[in-house]
Amino acid sequence: MKKLTTRKWVKVAVPFVTLALVAAACGGDDDDDAASDTTGATGTTPSVETTPSSDTEPEGTEPADTEPADTEPADTEPAEPTEIATDFGVTDDTIRIGLNADLSGIFAPLVTQIVDGQEAYWEIVNENGGIAGRQVELVVLDNGYDVPTHLENYEEMAAESADGVLMFSQSTGSPHTAATAEALLADDLLAIPLSWYSGWADPAIGENVLELYTSYCYESMNGLTYLAGANDASTVAIIGFPGEYGQDGAAGAKLAAEALGLEVVYDGEGAVVPGSDQTPVITELVNAQPDLVWATVNPTTLAEIMGGAYAQGLRAQWSGNSPTYNFQLLATDLGPALDELYTHSTYTQLWNSADVPGMTEMVEGMRAKRPTAPVSDVYIVAWTEGYATQQILEKAAANGDLTRAGVVAAAKDPDLEIDFKGLSPNQTFSGDPNDYIVRESYMYDVDMTKFTPAGTVSDDDAGTGFTLLEGPFVSDTAANHDFQQACYVPEG
Amino acid sequence: MYRRPNFYTSYESESQMLPTYTKKVVALLAVSIMFLMPFSLPVIDQLPFVRFLGDGNWLRPMATVFIFAIAALGLNILTGMAGQVSLGHAFFMGVGAYTGAVLGGSPGGGLWGWGLPIWIWLPGAGVGAALVGIIVSPVAVRLRGLYLAIVTLGLVFVGIHLGNTNWGKKLAGDPGLGRDFPTYDIRLWKEDKPLVDVDNDGHWLWFDVSDTQKQYLFLGVLLLVFILIAKNIARTRTGRALQAIRDRDIAAEVMGVPEFKYKMIAFATSSFFAGVAGVLFASLAGKLPATQWSLVLSVEFIAILLIGGVGTVSGVMLGTFFVVLGPNLVEQFTVWLSDRIEQGGPVGSVADAILTEGPDDLGPVSIATQTPGYALNVFDWNLVIYGVLIIVFLIFEPLGLYGIWVKVRNYWKRWPFSY
Repeated sequence: MKKLTTRKWVKVAVPFVTLALVAAACGGDDDDDAASDTTGATGTTPSVETTPSSDTEPEGTEPADTEPADTEPADTEPAEPTEIATDFGVTDDTIRIGLNADLSGIFAPLVTQIVDGQEAYWEIVNENGGIAGRQVELVVLDNGYDVPTHLENYEEMAAESADGVLMFSQSTGSPHTAATAEALLADDLLAIPLSWYSGWADPAIGENVLELYTSYCYESMNGLTYLAGANDASTVAIIGFPGEYGQDGAAGAKLAAEALGLEVVYDGEGAVVPGSDQTPVITELVNAQPDLVWATVNPTTLAEIMGGAYAQGLRAQWSGNSPTYNFQLLATDLGPALDELYTHSTYTQLWNSADVPGMTEMVEGMRAKRPTAPVSDVYIVAWTEGYATQQILEKAAANGDLTRAGVVAAAKDPDLEIDFKGLSPNQTFSGDPNDYIVRESYMYDVDMTKFTPAGTVSDDDAGTGFTLLEGPFVSDTAANHDFQQACYVPEG
Repeated sequence: MYRRPNFYTSYESESQMLPTYTKKVVALLAVSIMFLMPFSLPVIDQLPFVRFLGDGNWLRPMATVFIFAIAALGLNILTGMAGQVSLGHAFFMGVGAYTGAVLGGSPGGGLWGWGLPIWIWLPGAGVGAALVGIIVSPVAVRLRGLYLAIVTLGLVFVGIHLGNTNWGKKLAGDPGLGRDFPTYDIRLWKEDKPLVDVDNDGHWLWFDVSDTQKQYLFLGVLLLVFILIAKNIARTRTGRALQAIRDRDIAAEVMGVPEFKYKMIAFATSSFFAGVAGVLFASLAGKLPATQWSLVLSVEFIAILLIGGVGTVSGVMLGTFFVVLGPNLVEQFTVWLSDRIEQGGPVGSVADAILTEGPDDLGPVSIATQTPGYALNVFDWNLVIYGVLIIVFLIFEPLGLYGIWVKVRNYWKRWPFSY
């Protein structure tokens, strides 16, 4: 009896074992060893309890936290030279910073590099004395690009105890960050999202979500304006994923098309469903024969659609929001077509592409700390996240308030302008979003001759295949746009 | 005859839920530990593994275990009891989640939501999923084995596609950001102050409880209810009919078991469990995009049944623990190993052989985030371990963890004549 069912089981289940292997990412993950483990004992006792504005709720005495070993009184330490108020995630010698990052999900190839870059960044900061005399300890947890796992990690890092972190220098993913947006506000925590939805700048959506650089919407306006000017175009096709990424990008592209007098010959906003058959979109594109295509998809989907349309004779000029394109696509058969037709739009400078202080610091830092790491553009994201976090924390320390609330206040301090040292336009977060949001972006020519498939950061000639065309620049459409809410407002 | 195992004088005593004295005691102990685990109590604190799992950081994964167990119990009725393989479990969870969201969610922003209390939306989510299950079942009952798996697999993709349609967005919110789900708060009707507040820190009986502890306890109670339902179904006429169909459907029909009707019941019941678990899962997260209800989730339930053991409630519980907590435990183990390296000694050198700490260090497990060499990081290892385990269980222990336990138990039962 049992035998029969077993056999049936084997038959049915074996094909899915492979699936399970690929798909197992859903499980809960947490890990806090990835960063340099600085000190074993992290005292729960706040060093100087001045706490001027931090309303730290008494928190129902959390009976789960009873490890007595963790309480190391600060009385052995000499008094602090400057009085800095602290609450969670900060001790006399350590600052804990959280990264809720996708290390095993669909964006893992990029995010592991970003996290690695940040680890290198903070190693250098720590060697130079850290922040306010404290060493920075990164707490890296893997969300597997899964919302429930992200929330599990968040709960762990938001703990109002020695296990907590002071702020998040990265929160991977839009749905994930959105799911924590309210909690961030309630817990007085800041998070830098790995998402560039224009809605984050709207205080009603992302009050404590610090969006770095410009948004999909403004990037589309600038990119399309540049493309139209460079190619004497009169028609455009807009394609993109459904949802906050694709539709925010499409919204900006449509505003720009209207301002420029471009005719939208195919409106594929939300028509590209990731992972499904793209033939209908390709057919529409080929039939419409636009001069320009603005895409808001991901690299695999771009390759599929652009390759399909190219094979059917479409020779439009392409561009799209980051991360529609990835330089690794040059290693595929599509390389020559991309070189010929694609212009890359970004929010930041790219690897070794400009002579600015931030670039020198980053390239030298990566070479010193991660000499064998593969060359990549996303280390700029890591470095700029690092600059932003460090400058906010230094501002908070200068204000004498390294509490969570103090850090939030420091980020929104009118005196703080985050200096990205040329890697990206400088940024402030105080006042009316319409006044402070970043509207500049960059356009890069894709150039096969500057691409090295397996280069490392130590390799001087290693490149990601780009030449700067223009940037940072802002188009009239973006400059004149009145930001009151997200370009694309989803239901909900 | 008193206290002789496997010797029953009546059908009632044979089909008891906990037939032996030992089982009653063990069940009572397990339930009390489960409920007292989150609290800092003298005896509980001394139990090493329990102390560890009851810790603040582990409560949320444990709550997830409870929800997954409810869903897995549902799949166990369909797959373990009735022998029908379904890959559409995630779809039914999604149906439940959005039924619950419409019934209990807050309206506004173009989304549907009626703001009803939990005693309507929670069963409602199950009923909604069960109805969809009944609608699907006429097709499904005509198929079995691989064909049924493919049909139910299709449901998952249909579901995700519906989430991208315009009315799908009214239900599920933005495809990228998702929608809000109702909280666990228990209300009589739509009053402002809930009767039982499950979502904020507070005070219950003698204990101060945090929101996470409250959710854990609430889900624990629900899990017990669903375990009772699942156990009882197995002991009824329906349960026996389903098992007859599983073992030989034609023979069952010859004996007068209406196959169509019972397969439909199995689908509906299984979907009910899935629907309730789906809305609980979404509600615990608070906000989820529609892509959450994907094939990955369905496969996870298949893995739970395979690893735990098909057909038994205990097996399902073991499997859920293993699959949901496994990755966390592996990572915890790696952290433990890297601590051992610092301490040195024989354990330290074993740990050193396993872990790769830098480019020149050898070992299969890397603790660096980016690993250009052959060493894999913990997260990749988790995927490998998961896949290998499924293969190993299929080949060597088709009855799963529960089968291992039965073997161990039987060995000692017959000791010293265990051959």
